[in-house]
Amino acid sequence: MSAAVMSVRARLRGLSLAQRAALGLLMLLAVFAVAGPWVWPDPVAQDLSRFLEPPSLSEPLGRDHLGRSVAGRLASATRLSLLIAVACVTTAIVAGMLAGILAAWRGGLVDTVLHGLSEAFVALPALLIVLMVSAMSGGELWTLYAGIALAQWIEYFRVVRARSALLLSGPAVEAATLLRLGPMHVLRRHLWPDLRPLLTTMATFGIGTAVLAVSTLGFVGVGVAPPTPELGQMITEAFPFYHEAPWMSVAPALVLVVVLVGLLGLRTKESAS
Amino acid sequence: MADRQAAVVGVTTIPPLLDAEETVEATRVERGAVRRGAARPILRVLAQRALQAVSVTLLVSTACFLIVQNLPGDLAYRIAAGRYGYDRVTAASADAVRADLGLDAPVWQQLAGWWADLVRLDFGTSLVTGAPVLHELYVPVTSSLHLAGTALALALAVGVPVGVVAARRPNGLLDRVTTVWVAGSRALPPFLLGLLLILVFSVHFGWLPAVGHGTASNVVLPAVTLAVGLSGLFARVTRDTVAQIRTSDFVAFAESKGLGERAVLLRHVLRNAGVTLAAYVGVQALVLIEGVVVVESLFAWPGLGHALVHAIFWRDVPVVQAAAVALALLVVAVNTVVDVAGLGLDPRPRRRSVPS
Amino acid sequence: MSMHLQDVVITHGGRTLVDVADLHLPRGEAVTIVGESGSGKSLLAHAVMGTLAAGLTARGRVTIDGTGYDLAERSARRRLWGRVMALLPQEPVLALDPTMRVRGQVAEGAPAFRSDRRSAYHAAEQLLGTLGVGDAARSYPHTLSGGMAQRVAFAAATVGGARILIADEPSKGLDTHAREELADLLRQHVTGDGVLLTITHDLDLARRLGGQVLVMREAAIVERGTAEQVLTNPSHAYTQRLLAAEPSRWQHPWVSATGSPPADEPHAPFLIQADRVTKGYGKRDLFSDVTLTIRPGQRLALAGPSGSGKTTLGNVLLRLLPPDAGKVVHAADLGGGRLQKLYQDPAVAFPSRVPIIVGLRDVLRRHRPEPGRLEKLMGAMRLSEDLLHRPPGQVSGGELQRVAIIRAMLLDPLLIFADEPTSRLDLVTQEETMCALMEQVDRSRCALLLVTHDLALANAVAHDVLTATTPPADPVRQGHAGQLGSSSSTPPVHARK
Repeated sequence: MSAAVMSVRARLRGLSLAQRAALGLLMLLAVFAVAGPWVWPDPVAQDLSRFLEPPSLSEPLGRDHLGRSVAGRLASATRLSLLIAVACVTTAIVAGMLAGILAAWRGGLVDTVLHGLSEAFVALPALLIVLMVSAMSGGELWTLYAGIALAQWIEYFRVVRARSALLLSGPAVEAATLLRLGPMHVLRRHLWPDLRPLLTTMATFGIGTAVLAVSTLGFVGVGVAPPTPELGQMITEAFPFYHEAPWMSVAPALVLVVVLVGLLGLRTKESAS
Repeated sequence: MADRQAAVVGVTTIPPLLDAEETVEATRVERGAVRRGAARPILRVLAQRALQAVSVTLLVSTACFLIVQNLPGDLAYRIAAGRYGYDRVTAASADAVRADLGLDAPVWQQLAGWWADLVRLDFGTSLVTGAPVLHELYVPVTSSLHLAGTALALALAVGVPVGVVAARRPNGLLDRVTTVWVAGSRALPPFLLGLLLILVFSVHFGWLPAVGHGTASNVVLPAVTLAVGLSGLFARVTRDTVAQIRTSDFVAFAESKGLGERAVLLRHVLRNAGVTLAAYVGVQALVLIEGVVVVESLFAWPGLGHALVHAIFWRDVPVVQAAAVALALLVVAVNTVVDVAGLGLDPRPRRRSVPS
Repeated sequence: MSMHLQDVVITHGGRTLVDVADLHLPRGEAVTIVGESGSGKSLLAHAVMGTLAAGLTARGRVTIDGTGYDLAERSARRRLWGRVMALLPQEPVLALDPTMRVRGQVAEGAPAFRSDRRSAYHAAEQLLGTLGVGDAARSYPHTLSGGMAQRVAFAAATVGGARILIADEPSKGLDTHAREELADLLRQHVTGDGVLLTITHDLDLARRLGGQVLVMREAAIVERGTAEQVLTNPSHAYTQRLLAAEPSRWQHPWVSATGSPPADEPHAPFLIQADRVTKGYGKRDLFSDVTLTIRPGQRLALAGPSGSGKTTLGNVLLRLLPPDAGKVVHAADLGGGRLQKLYQDPAVAFPSRVPIIVGLRDVLRRHRPEPGRLEKLMGAMRLSEDLLHRPPGQVSGGELQRVAIIRAMLLDPLLIFADEPTSRLDLVTQEETMCALMEQVDRSRCALLLVTHDLALANAVAHDVLTATTPPADPVRQGHAGQLGSSSSTPPVHARK
């Protein structure tokens, strides 16, 4: 247990100031998203008598045009976005990496089929893929998850395949083969140490992209079906009231920007000085 | 969803495994093979892209077929409603449709028929308006091209000069401004940016129209929305590429020949930077098209994205298929142009795996 | 015209990298500075030119034709570039713009280029013609061989009329033939009353240039004199050490002249037997119908210019690449890792992101050599343990190549294929590394297949030397199509000592 704590500390020390700030920001947001349901148990409960109520101590972000608690809806929407994003990126990385290494390693027909498929997919904007999948059965969460994961695995597949093919045909792996070191050695010492930093960077991009995709779909009206709270949908709903009730639109927009800034900050390599 | 370049950056920054001497040897070995057919590279590029166009069309079409199969309710009724209008659908007309389209046949036969329609360029009729889809798509295609073209031109016109100037002084003021700009445009989703622009320029100042299509001023806000993010990326890439080329041996040699800074920039730096930049435009084609879909919905711009989102909302599958295919082919088209431009700019054969 | 350097000091931070009191470059006589990498010789060239990297500061004076320039002030000399002084680049293939035709790259250096472009193009074509590469005027640089690119670069550098030519490692990456052509070009420049300062680690080039030779070591010039005197009868200990490191002068028990080759009987056991193997790239043959046998303990070298397919032949013999025709048979003993390979750049032969020891432990776990074997080998090669805890990128080339030798020896190989193992190393390091390898090869009676572009090295190490030949030069030739062993049954063995 204490060893785990130590290793977390060691990792934190390696981070730059910007990265630590970004991590803190994202943690804060995660706490807000997770703790939300205890404070605001029902994010869809309407109270039309309190519509467009301005922020107060008991309702820190005010209420919307249907008298729903904006803070409660925001916590719920944030949780939804982050959960979908993490689930999609995890799925996409695992699938993309396995397929990529398989294609690079086996070559031949496996590679031809997978590579051909990815060539077709790569001409499709990711948003288009998500839109099409969500068209199959609109508004359901699984289509959103499936669509985003389907759109994202291609990237991991292509990068992992290209990088692995380069490494596998390179002199280091050739030497390992002559030394009769098996596939586990190649995976653990050659491929994984090389792919890990690449995938980590891509994953932070991917989570941002996924959060953005969910909210974009909500914004154009083909995402998560109302009344389930969702960031993009909240912004659309709030826009007509931007003058009377700015808290309604500013709050979800801010959360979206904070997620993206946080993920962006994680990638900055500025030194901690 | 603006981060496909992550993948490409990841690949391009990888140090080559071949060392310099080996690479020289490798390219020299390679030449023999390439020189035999001088016209070959361009044919190969065109063939590859054509193959991609066919496969992506098939992919989209099959996806649309699956959508149709999975739609709730009786398909025959829906199609009959599309043909004859919702109020005139009867069990008899649905049966007629069923017999006509062979909807009782096995799924694979239906899929084959679906593909055959595609080959005949028969995209069917819109389930909403009843008009032939191909005919309905003319306006969206031209509007989308108009918007995407304007945005791309704007982004290049701003981004490239900024990048070139920023590269003159790494870490200078302009360089830092570019960095902040790129970070800012990454952190601000396109639809939020569009909303902000509408608030400021149409609602607050009343300078520009927020929605609509027709007059020249209509295109300004949507195009700017798209161009803000893109131009930052172009500026960044141009800056990095130019700065990197400036440190190359051939620039140092050109200078030592007695060429002035301007001549070196014009004759050597920009041409080589163009090779990288052209490839990057190809990568950004996806981002651009994605942005078009979002921005069109926001500004009610009657393009393909707008049509697609509406069609998805109404489950108008023939229009979904046609619009999606058109968008994908647009991406392929941009990439084809980029590939051909790359071949023109850089005479070197593409590096492939070569025995050294 | 002449050039005179006084009190040149180049520093980085507080460290002095170059300290040369006085250097006179008369016209009509070549001046060559030799030394190993890190001696500061290239910095001296760049200080004179005014192209030092940012962060390096130069002090001192250079007098060109009676006009003095302060070395600390760079911009004043910029207007001399191309007109009065020019720099012949390292690796001309990289110094030419890959996207521009050769003619334009030469013409833009001509004085007339800004006013009269046509006459500049004409001048460029004429100069290229004089240098024997007139046919290449409309080619792109990537279609040129190393030697042709060198001549194009020479044309581009001198078309502006510069009489002072500074050549910084001009023979880097060139094969023997191209190096001879280069020496001729430079000598022509000198005999035409030019001033020439050549910086090189290539003693052969220095010998060919003649004139004055200066030996540089650790920022200072340790010896100077005529080429003949310095390069045949040096007085300074360092120069003597440098000369002794040339493969042709090696005195080691394993040098092949003193060793005994194994008997070449037709029925003796073999390690590798190649029967009429052919390999091409695209539609072009790299080599065809090569038949050869490698026997236990034999040392065979494949020598030849770059692009002649010698590395490919080695890889085919190791069955790392399939031949297009013919077959390669390995003795059964070679299985299980008794066949090892050394690479030109050892840094790419180790997993790049993990400390070296991690990969070595995998080797130890897999093959279980006697305990202490690794430590013994490390000691024999004078390598310290802590080296192994770094990733390969942080170990010097010579040391890393020795680690690679150790890694190979852990498996008690019967045959080692060494692919240009020392071509990126300085002379002294090359000798150290070859010593490390050959002592192990000698002790274990293991066979060696050496690929090298350096015939002297091949002759020093191998019992048999196989040379890859180049076809007659074609004006715009597409690299050298090697005609290795074109005779059908026996390989052309050119050197048997």
